[in-house]
Amino acid sequence: MVTTIDEPRIRPEWLLGGAVTLLGAIVIVVVTLVLGAREEEPVVAPADAADLTAGTCAADLPQPHWVPEAVTRAVVECPSDISVGIGRTTAEDHLGTWITYPLDGEVNAETLGGGPGPGWPADEVRAGAHHPASAVLYVAYPGSSEVSDELSGDTVTVEWQDLPESRGEARVTRVDNNGYGPVRVEWTDDTGSYLLLSTVGRTPTGSAGPTVDQLLRMADSVGAQEG
Amino acid sequence: MPSTRTWLQAGGGTVVAALLVAAVVQAVHSSAMWRSNDPVGECGATSGGAVVAAQNVLHASTGLEPVDGSWDASSRVAAEAFQAYNGLPVTGCVDESTWVTMRALLVGVCDPGFECRGPDHRVRYWSPDGARVTYFAENDCDWGSVVPPGVARSPVSSEAVVALSRDAVTEIECGG
Repeated sequence: MVTTIDEPRIRPEWLLGGAVTLLGAIVIVVVTLVLGAREEEPVVAPADAADLTAGTCAADLPQPHWVPEAVTRAVVECPSDISVGIGRTTAEDHLGTWITYPLDGEVNAETLGGGPGPGWPADEVRAGAHHPASAVLYVAYPGSSEVSDELSGDTVTVEWQDLPESRGEARVTRVDNNGYGPVRVEWTDDTGSYLLLSTVGRTPTGSAGPTVDQLLRMADSVGAQEG
Repeated sequence: MPSTRTWLQAGGGTVVAALLVAAVVQAVHSSAMWRSNDPVGECGATSGGAVVAAQNVLHASTGLEPVDGSWDASSRVAAEAFQAYNGLPVTGCVDESTWVTMRALLVGVCDPGFECRGPDHRVRYWSPDGARVTYFAENDCDWGSVVPPGVARSPVSSEAVVALSRDAVTEIECGG
């Protein structure tokens, strides 16, 4: 008796199906890895915040060497830009150089779409849902040895704070509206007069902008590595 | 009988004293203006120079347009949004605490202590679509607001310094 055993045969459609499945799996894995890498790509501020103004007119100015983590870029306005904006003849050597540090993050993003008007729901307006972008403004006035006139008012607090790293002190002016409002940090040194301005903003999800301590640390970092 | 010279000396002294008093009064008025400014909006003036000033800051902070010195529904919403974000009671009234908050946002364009010509303070808000900037002038005159081109609407001119403390929209000269 002869028994015939058929050899197992791999049918072509199996091979095709397997190849397609394998290819699909590879595509899914690659796409997932790429997207995941993009999401997790850290946006890291440079070790020295002064690098943010490299190649601009502010590059050689005294400026913060430290900024909050939410700051990843700087926008510089040179005295010549400001003079043009004013539209009148002004001695540029007396104009300050402005560096704006926008803050990243959802709570710091501008939410003014369309501009103010009846289209903004009243409850959203009252909650602080419609607000400008948060940023820290730094102005350097080279050659000046004064700070601006002191503000006053029932909600204004003015105090001088030590800047330990730069061995100086700064005048901190707060318009304290229940913990929110503008904050000004102003000081001078041997080469100029400086100002940091930002707003601690009230939004539906929390505070926008930097903390006062962060502004002070920025101020302290200006002179810390200058000397 | 006093001589002519005595009368001239007395008159000159009086004039000098009057000028000194006027200068002091103006300086006090100028620095205090932002606190003593009349309320604007839901609780105060609805037109005039003070309205222009408030609208000017609200343009920079909230994108309010146009700035024309007439308080309207958009101005009220802008004031409320400004107040909410700055932790103020949301009333739509630009009262003393709101004025002071606005004043703290002004930054000198020139060295502190140096009097530069024309608009010498700015309010600037950074925006992804481009910064919104408005100007104010103090120097040798009363505080005035200077509305940027494209934002001002009649009777406000973008080239003018508009007095804050007048009832109507009044242009003033700040020669520096």
